[in-house]
Amino acid sequence: MKEDTVKLISAEGFEFVVDKKAAMVSQTIRNMLTSPGSFAETEHGEVTFPEISTPILEKICQYFYWSLQFSSGKETEFHIEPEITLELMMAANYLHT
Amino acid sequence: MAMYIRVKRHKTTYFIQCDPTETTLDIKQKLQALIDQPSNNQQLTLVATNDILDDLKTLAEQKVENDAVVGLALRKGLFCIPFVN
Repeated sequence: MKEDTVKLISAEGFEFVVDKKAAMVSQTIRNMLTSPGSFAETEHGEVTFPEISTPILEKICQYFYWSLQFSSGKETEFHIEPEITLELMMAANYLHT
Repeated sequence: MAMYIRVKRHKTTYFIQCDPTETTLDIKQKLQALIDQPSNNQQLTLVATNDILDDLKTLAEQKVENDAVVGLALRKGLFCIPFVN
């Protein structure tokens, strides 16, 4: 594993390898990865979310990257399928994104 | 950051930051750092069209766009039968 990537693991055990910079769009993940003391999360760069399902976690990762693109001046829309809206909002609330 | 692609294999998805002008080989080299597999053992397929990506062509040429899903296959075993002309 590279130093500047983190692995986010969904409820079903699917893994998403994203850049640390992208994952830190989420305040919750940022706190997990940067808090002092040697937490397992900080050391291995792996965070498991037993409460977030795979499609939602993937959407969240896409959002991280969209957010980075948007802040660097690219104006595209972030499409959200209506059927996942509620679950996505609950996850976003938990992750402070 | 210009764009990213999602490279998938088994239960894992790698989000790779890249540029439309980069070649498939550039992507494979980025993957090499993540998965410890040399680039010549990797095969990338654009899932939307089922096209195998050519090492020397750029992403733009092969219509690999932002947020595209690319499948990753790895060569099995240590030996590879050479192609006889």
